[in-house]
Amino acid sequence: MKRVAPAVLVIGLLLLVLYPLMASGYEIRFMLQLFMWVALAQSWNLISGLTGYVSFGHVAFFGTGAYAAAILVTSHGWHWAPASMMGGVAAVILALIIGYPCLRLKGPYFAIATLGLNEVVRALVSYFESVTGGGSGISLPPIAATGQIYYAMGLAALAVTAAAHLIITSRVGLRFMTIREDEIAAEAMGIDTARYKLYAFLLSAFIPGVVGGLFAQDTGYIEPISVFPLLTTITMIVMVLFGGKGTIWGPVLGAVTLFVLQEMVWVRFLYLHQILFGAIIVVVVLLMPKGILGMLQERYRLPRTI
Amino acid sequence: MSVSITAEMVGQVIISGLLAGALYSMVALGLALIFGVMRVINIAHGTFLMLGAYTTFWWSQLLGINPYLSLLASMPLMFLLGVLLQRTLVTRVVNAPELSSLLLTFGISIALVNLAQLAFTSDLRSVEYLTGAWLVGPIALSKSRVISFAFAVAITLFAFWFLQKTKLGKAIRATSQSSEVALVCGINVQRIHLYSFGIASALAAAGGSLVAVMIAIQPEMGQVYTFKSFLVIVLGGAGNLPGALLGGMLLGLVEQLASLFLTTQLSEAVAYVLLVLVLLLRPAGLLGGRST
Amino acid sequence: MDQGHILEIRDLTKRFGGVTAVNSCSLALAPRKIYGLIGPNGSGKTTLFNCITGLERRDDGEVYFKAERIDGLKPHQVARRGIGRTFQMIRVFPELSALENLLVVTAEPFEVAHRKALELLQFVTLDRLQKEYAGNLSYGQQKLLEFIRVLMTDPELILLDEPAAGVNRTLLNELLAAITNLRDQGKTILIIEHDMKVVMGLCDTVFVLDYGEKIAEGPPSVIQTNERVIEAYFGR
Repeated sequence: MKRVAPAVLVIGLLLLVLYPLMASGYEIRFMLQLFMWVALAQSWNLISGLTGYVSFGHVAFFGTGAYAAAILVTSHGWHWAPASMMGGVAAVILALIIGYPCLRLKGPYFAIATLGLNEVVRALVSYFESVTGGGSGISLPPIAATGQIYYAMGLAALAVTAAAHLIITSRVGLRFMTIREDEIAAEAMGIDTARYKLYAFLLSAFIPGVVGGLFAQDTGYIEPISVFPLLTTITMIVMVLFGGKGTIWGPVLGAVTLFVLQEMVWVRFLYLHQILFGAIIVVVVLLMPKGILGMLQERYRLPRTI
Repeated sequence: MSVSITAEMVGQVIISGLLAGALYSMVALGLALIFGVMRVINIAHGTFLMLGAYTTFWWSQLLGINPYLSLLASMPLMFLLGVLLQRTLVTRVVNAPELSSLLLTFGISIALVNLAQLAFTSDLRSVEYLTGAWLVGPIALSKSRVISFAFAVAITLFAFWFLQKTKLGKAIRATSQSSEVALVCGINVQRIHLYSFGIASALAAAGGSLVAVMIAIQPEMGQVYTFKSFLVIVLGGAGNLPGALLGGMLLGLVEQLASLFLTTQLSEAVAYVLLVLVLLLRPAGLLGGRST
Repeated sequence: MDQGHILEIRDLTKRFGGVTAVNSCSLALAPRKIYGLIGPNGSGKTTLFNCITGLERRDDGEVYFKAERIDGLKPHQVARRGIGRTFQMIRVFPELSALENLLVVTAEPFEVAHRKALELLQFVTLDRLQKEYAGNLSYGQQKLLEFIRVLMTDPELILLDEPAAGVNRTLLNELLAAITNLRDQGKTILIIEHDMKVVMGLCDTVFVLDYGEKIAEGPPSVIQTNERVIEAYFGR
């Protein structure tokens, strides 16, 4: 297994790199969005899956990144790639502002506090009309860059999954997990939980910010409703819970499975996939709290670092 | 801002705040009940409010009579739905870590809200009944707000009487103090959980029926009320039932005050910011009482 | 303040609402000794531990560790200074393996930490269970794991909260031998215990708390015959 896995990975990556040369515009778009969801799900996993501090407002980072990048592109003439990176930076700054006070709250209270976070950010974005265009949104100059954005999204997904791998297989990841397991004991053992929580939170905000910026360029138009929807947070949560929170490949599995199902089957039935998301959360919480991968890990004694 | 604040404006704000506050208190009481008795964080609370509002809408559409009478339909209906959900799903996370109940009820609320979207579409609905306001001196009292205030107060008082004086009510209070002791005293704790969740849902539904004549009805309307109920509870102290009353009034006042100076969108955001502030500064709430 | 004391607590007071859990308590620990902390239930022993380690914020009084004030420090800072503790209810990290439970608490390079962890695991014969999730271990095994986890960071002062609770005779003797060993290696140990045989057999000095106040202090033989102590345990 150890020999095969890297080879499979390399071949898979190679195929993904060559994909745009063979696929149609629609198909490239499909994979582009898939990468985006993998990136989002994996980012959410970094804070919520590892430290147990469940964030219910994570789409706020996506939206912030989208707006930051859009403003840089339209008002300051930046190229979309560095603009998206700055979107990530903007998201991290937001995470610092919120995380510093909110991470001091206990688990459930943190979750409730972040629930409202998204609404506050959206309200603020709508309010500062002169900068953000308020309800009218921002239109970005159309660029035939779908292929490039495909690679950028892919890179983002790859980066955050690699980060997850590095973290989960290291002692840093273990320390994140002690926060989830028993925060008081972790503190008593000399682990600076406040600092680690913040690191995890900041880390979990960066890629959603970048991806938000890429999304803005790709769709060409953003407005508060489109980049701060609760559905995005819900989707992130469902994907990770379903796939297996706290694992490396769980979020990837969840993202791929649910996105494919969504695009192929559910998108025809309005609201059905959202109802199913709700049902999946219920089923996961009651029957398989560790998600698919977690269940497999338990059943087949697989290592935690998959 | 060069707006002069007159005494009339202050009076208006205070009155409006109290009128709205009673509603918040009633709805939050339900959430406090669930948390106090079962240690469950019910994010789906607002969903019952939404369904109560729709009940009122269909009531007035199909029957055409006084929408306030729909309370007789919405409250029992949602009581039953609450009992059903508790019996089948919520009961399994009663002794689990709070995050489990949070996620579970989150999933339930998503499913219910979208079922409502499917069934009712997301078109905005409204129930026209009482319009206009009574003028008391310089202060305008919106008729529907006053009536809903009256109902909210009546229902809340009834709820408190119920909890203090009836056998079931006392059993509920005992269970929220300590379910182990309640068990030993022969109280059927499972049954108490059922009733509590049902009563809480009925209270939320009542809130929905009362706001149905005042604001637009759509499937996602409940979310903000869930959040405000949390805020009320945190303001008053989790599990502290009288505190929920105080918290509701406080929220009503603060919101109205904020709307004097801020746009409506921002004053909604005020509720969220207030929650975070209170959580940070006094996690035990303003009146003390048990925290998680 | 006596430079010789490794831990000194002065007039420590901690209230919870209307209840005074620790009432103007003062005690001093000399290094390289085993101390016992006993008292009826609710006498404030665990609260005292929590105040020392920073888990609770004291209302009044001071705590000195190696002549430095540590009250007001965050728990992880206190731990880093060289104070380790175990808990009354075992707090291992359930979804981490036994080995990971040990590795995570130290910042030393992996090889060093790994070696030390294996040694400690072998010491309590848990090495064959090193990859097992700590939550799957038996009560006694978890207790041992929590004990050696404290030792991973080589603390100078070790606070043990009821180490004998729920432990069978054989295991207990091993534990007691280990504790004595630690003392001989130069560490100071403060133990909360209800098992009088353990306390009397192990400790050099015993402190007795009742209603948050220190009512007696001295070698076990003296404490056993102290009137106030007997009254505290039996007279109520």
